[in-house]
Amino acid sequence: MDLIFPYTISVRLPSDLEIIPSIRKFVSEVLQVSGFSAKFAFRSEIIIDAICNNAITHGSAGNADNEVELACVIHRDRVEVVVKDSGGSPADIEKLKEAVRRNRLGLPLPDYEAGGMGLEIVKLLSETIDITVDENNVTSIHVVRKREDA
Amino acid sequence: MGNSALKMEISSDWGSAEIAVLKVSGFLDFSGIAMLSKFFDRIAEEKWSYVIVDLVGLEAMCSAALGEFMGYRKRFVERGGSLVFAGLSGNIRSKLTLLGANKIFSFYQDVRSAINAYKWDYKKQSKSVAISFPADLALVPPIRQFASRLVRQKGYSVKDAFRIETIVDEVCNNAVEHGLGGAENTVDVRMSVDKEKIDINVSNKSAPEKVAVLRELTKPQTRGTGNHVGTDDKRGRGLALIRMLSNDMDVDITEHGTTVHVIKLREE
Repeated sequence: MDLIFPYTISVRLPSDLEIIPSIRKFVSEVLQVSGFSAKFAFRSEIIIDAICNNAITHGSAGNADNEVELACVIHRDRVEVVVKDSGGSPADIEKLKEAVRRNRLGLPLPDYEAGGMGLEIVKLLSETIDITVDENNVTSIHVVRKREDA
Repeated sequence: MGNSALKMEISSDWGSAEIAVLKVSGFLDFSGIAMLSKFFDRIAEEKWSYVIVDLVGLEAMCSAALGEFMGYRKRFVERGGSLVFAGLSGNIRSKLTLLGANKIFSFYQDVRSAINAYKWDYKKQSKSVAISFPADLALVPPIRQFASRLVRQKGYSVKDAFRIETIVDEVCNNAVEHGLGGAENTVDVRMSVDKEKIDINVSNKSAPEKVAVLRELTKPQTRGTGNHVGTDDKRGRGLALIRMLSNDMDVDITEHGTTVHVIKLREE
């Protein structure tokens, strides 16, 4: 049976950093069975790693029992990744809002910590990146990455 | 540049009465051992049995301090808990590893990972992952490999992981083959893994008119004994294989869809 595009794969994962390597590999394999190159899949893995890391580290309000939602919408020519978390501490939310503001103005994303290059790497590897924080502090990041050989 | 002053702080609001986090920052040399003893005496007076030593701000630790931690760890192990390290810098981690401390202490990336490990090891908490995918056989291999990686990462053996992978593969293949196709008809997989078992639930939508056929397919084979599948039989091997590899299995077929629930105990 041929895959019918676009299609969506949804994952609900625990707020646990240990699970990220398995998730990134899973998405990579899904992309490869969907006809994307190994290079595309690997670069997409990096995106998944960075945004899931952020969601777990900063976006689960310090509660390991929270879940993170990941959805990958796979088109023939691109993949759209959406990651939602339940919102972090007030300080994390403020940092994220600043990142949203800078992203809208086309400014470099802030580098708050030594390991804080995640969003900048995601921006570099993707076509568009859109971050929203709703009134309940639910944070959603939407990344679009296009097939390079399309 | 001088060494930063040694600072210690205890916190216990980590969602479990047994857990205390001792944050140690600065330079922990021989002169800091008295301070360390004072803090551990305080911890010992309380009911805390699982102590996470958060070393995020630690610049250096002398071997005498490491020896002290070993002594304290023994006390907490006797209480049914442990003492673990979290947030070690690369430098401290490699030095402790050179001293062989990694064979005695568990190292965690951060405090939360240490708490997760506590819940896993001591509270037998499970970790659940739910995946929803369109009913297409091409997507089953990534799902089965994910299941295998998930349990391997949680410490299951290669043999257990392979058997779990086979179960997930069979159940998902059946869900795709016998369920409704198309992007809107998803197969929902939920895996709950704890220290002792994995619980797998796979649901799919199916056509109401197929209920009778599906019920017939899921009946244990009647030829021969028990679940035996004859050599000429073309169907029913998948379910027989799942029954053989798992510890419990049930299938619920309704006009809305089918749910297969499998429990596989950890063997090794």
